[in-house]
Amino acid sequence: MLHLIRYNILVKFRNFNTIFWPLAFPLILGTLFYFAFGKLDEADFETVETAVVEEAEADAMFLEFLDTMADGEEQLLAVEKMSKEEALTALTDKKVSGIFFVGKEPSLTVGGNGIAESILQSLLESYGNGKQTMEHVMKTHPEGMPKAVEAMADYKTLVEQASLGGRTTDGNVQFFYALVAMACLYGAFMGFGAAIALQANLTPVAARRCITPTHKLKLVVSEMLSCFVLHFVDILVLLIYLRYILKLDFRGNTGEMLLISLIGSMIGVSMGIFVGSIGRMQESVKVGILLGMSMVGSFLAGLMNAEMKYMVDHYAPIVNKLNPAALISDAFYCINVYDDRVRYTRSLATLSVMCAVLVIAAFYMVRRERYDSL
Amino acid sequence: MIQIENLVKRYGDLLALDHLNLRVDEGEIYGLLGPNGSGKTTAISCLLSLLKYDKGSIRIFGEEMRPDNYKIKQQIGIVLQNVAVFDELTVYENIDCFCGLYVKNKEERRRLVDEAVEFVGLEGYTKMRPKKLSGGLLRRLNIACGIAHKPRLIIMDEPTVAVDPQSRNRILEGIQELNRQGSTIIYTSHYMEEVEQICTKIAIIDHGRKIAEGTKEELKQMIKTGETVTIEAVMLNEEQLQMIKELPHVFDISYESQTLTVRCTTAKHNLIRILDTLKKQETVFGRVYSELPTLNDVFLEITGKQLRD
Repeated sequence: MLHLIRYNILVKFRNFNTIFWPLAFPLILGTLFYFAFGKLDEADFETVETAVVEEAEADAMFLEFLDTMADGEEQLLAVEKMSKEEALTALTDKKVSGIFFVGKEPSLTVGGNGIAESILQSLLESYGNGKQTMEHVMKTHPEGMPKAVEAMADYKTLVEQASLGGRTTDGNVQFFYALVAMACLYGAFMGFGAAIALQANLTPVAARRCITPTHKLKLVVSEMLSCFVLHFVDILVLLIYLRYILKLDFRGNTGEMLLISLIGSMIGVSMGIFVGSIGRMQESVKVGILLGMSMVGSFLAGLMNAEMKYMVDHYAPIVNKLNPAALISDAFYCINVYDDRVRYTRSLATLSVMCAVLVIAAFYMVRRERYDSL
Repeated sequence: MIQIENLVKRYGDLLALDHLNLRVDEGEIYGLLGPNGSGKTTAISCLLSLLKYDKGSIRIFGEEMRPDNYKIKQQIGIVLQNVAVFDELTVYENIDCFCGLYVKNKEERRRLVDEAVEFVGLEGYTKMRPKKLSGGLLRRLNIACGIAHKPRLIIMDEPTVAVDPQSRNRILEGIQELNRQGSTIIYTSHYMEEVEQICTKIAIIDHGRKIAEGTKEELKQMIKTGETVTIEAVMLNEEQLQMIKELPHVFDISYESQTLTVRCTTAKHNLIRILDTLKKQETVFGRVYSELPTLNDVFLEITGKQLRD
């Protein structure tokens, strides 16, 4: 058995498809994610140069609001009062990003559509919303006005999300959970190769192995074990890379993380073995099915769009309860964010059952030793 | 050693093996000769219990061959028509990998792998991957993977397809050497020269049936042709052809592309009689050669078609 496992692992380790897709591709994608999202979080926005043109019946509160934005260490705006002509000239010369015309109703004129302009637009909208709120408070709860003003003045304070388990969440980390889930599912390529190498009607190597005195069950079990071990190592490498090289904030217990990785890699491999064992479908069609399953699964689990997982949860919750990628990323969430052990256990139990069903079904398909045709 | 009786295998409406009977004795190099699609590979696949068959029985070493008869499988080596090696493993690793499915002891396996490498002449290539090998070397690796465990019975299914002449000769010599070392060999091919060169007993198969069996000499004695005379002659007319046809021992002539082919039964001076006749007719002729019957002649006479049709 050890002889078989040793050579199975060696064959897979040197095979491009079984190394690139389950290991190299997620590492590359993880690095790209890191530079795309990580840098966005760390981005150091420059102060936005802004012109202010005071008009008749200028909204004093808005002027005060702008002054607040221009104060402090994290100075968001650099405000300069100008005449209309001066302001327009400055905008044309790109000395300022926008002009606030402060009359009874403040308005904004911008010269482009970049981040600076978006910030100005966002500030104006925030002020409008706040003003509306305060007018409402004044009408309904005049006694709460001082607190409302205080809250309005505290606009710059960043909102920090906290989970029910009390852990801070990073909105981008879910992309990485989905990435790990995708990597787990890409073990399907390894499982697929193993299934192909076991069926004498599909490859000459399988035919040669089937006519040796080695029991078919031994061949099947050694292939499965090799795939599970190798892919588990793949996922560990990915997690180590994300945690220690990219320094992502994984706060879950190491043992629990390893358990997710183990069951995650097993479900990926099992999917591949199952698809590889199905009937006489062309190999390219089977590869297409595997690629489709893993990509769609990862997409629905939020790999490409953070909102997708919530949308699926809202409109078709059963999909996420059966989607291995969603279950894996959910298990990561449970230990890193929610601290929800019940949900964590349920996700892993579901994955384990799916894994067992796929492996048993695949075994019944590949165990035959005589074929109708070769 | 091997007894196949009334083996029938159908692929839908196609009858691939039609009540095939074969008997292979220990120590033979048994050739299965037949054109492509005649049922050779199907017969081998049934023999190895890879294929289900509809009817018949297969016994090897006196026992019924079944997929789970590992005692029989332990003593068989197989060289498949398609090269069956791992592209990801080196030459040495491939041989060791497959040998390990038969031989558990590491030391013994190392010795056997080294011997197999030497036997097929791949000493200088042990660290190379199969993709770097030429077609001939790849075939030799395929053979080494099948014979490293020194099996009692070796089945070779067209092992020289797409192989250069040098490698082919090396492979054929190797097969004879394996036989001398004690292995019984079943060798399938559609190359009659190879079968004629190495096989001690030959079965000719067509449409899934055995149409003749024996040593090459026995097979040749089964047919009428004792000698085939071929003469390059220009512009022979019907009268001249008729005169040659009426010569003693001549039973068939053909004249195509200015080449006269005369088939004679076994007799002395066939060639001299034919040439005398042409001289008397003052016929100009060029190259002349006489051949003893080949297995192709055997196949031609029995089936009415060329072996390579």
